[in-house]
Amino acid sequence: MSVKVFALSTCPYCRMARAYLDENDVSYVVVEVDLMEGEEKDAAVAEVKEISGGTSFPVVVVDEEVLVGFNKKRMKELLDL
Amino acid sequence: MSDGGARPVRRRFVEGTTIEDLKAYMGPFAATLGYVFNTETDFVDEVLRSELEILEATGDVYCPCRVRTGDPKEDVRIICPCIPFHAEQFAAIRKCWCGLFIRTDVEDGADLLGVIEEPEPGAVIEVPVCRVADLPPGCVRHVKLGRADVALARVGDEFFALSNVCRHAFAPLADGVLEGYEVMCPWHGWRYDVRDGTTDHPDADVRTYPVAVRDGLVFVSVTIR
Repeated sequence: MSVKVFALSTCPYCRMARAYLDENDVSYVVVEVDLMEGEEKDAAVAEVKEISGGTSFPVVVVDEEVLVGFNKKRMKELLDL
Repeated sequence: MSDGGARPVRRRFVEGTTIEDLKAYMGPFAATLGYVFNTETDFVDEVLRSELEILEATGDVYCPCRVRTGDPKEDVRIICPCIPFHAEQFAAIRKCWCGLFIRTDVEDGADLLGVIEEPEPGAVIEVPVCRVADLPPGCVRHVKLGRADVALARVGDEFFALSNVCRHAFAPLADGVLEGYEVMCPWHGWRYDVRDGTTDHPDADVRTYPVAVRDGLVFVSVTIR
């Protein structure tokens, strides 16, 4: 299972989502979009827009499924916890 | 941190600005839209601490849960409190995106933390738009409902909502004059009945929105697209 979290360093829900994954020993890749710069940041924002339809965080991608925001129940289902 | 490219940033951070300062100006504004600070005070302070850092870095209080794109037209939609720009969505989830603000009719803000349920397309959502006391009888004002522009009119104790855009030359009807149940367009005097959006001019009626009044607040119903 591949898990990727697009996050902002300033966002409380991003912290909650990451804490939830950590608590459940789920390994994941995190992309902290606001800490990037220049073209790298533009590319990350473009990717978030494309997969989520907006620029709200966190965006959690579990395999092909995309979750916008921190919804513990939905995340639990997707991660089979 | 990127400042969003070459666009000029109007620096407005004043050394020594505190969380209490942010609360003092945001709170009264949010109240006019039917929102209050979340009852979870620790969470509110956490969000505002993030906003203070963002204010110091960028000159404005951008939402800590959304990213700046560098496009001023987009970025203005995420300056806190951003409630008017996302009015339908927030009305549906009963809080702003990050949960700093909750609707006044939410009893316990803790219930909403960590929960985001997007409204289904087709769902009808009652959006709080202003307090009854904010619109005197005989007046009309512009209300931003997400990307829609609405003219909210008050005749006596009745409230009506219709499109703010005159079908003649696209003038803002909320800048017009209300006479009885008719709003007169400020540019060329076309008249619209605020009750049903009709006008004497052919094929030029405007849409109307259902309005409800409750607990001192005026709500306009919109359908999620």
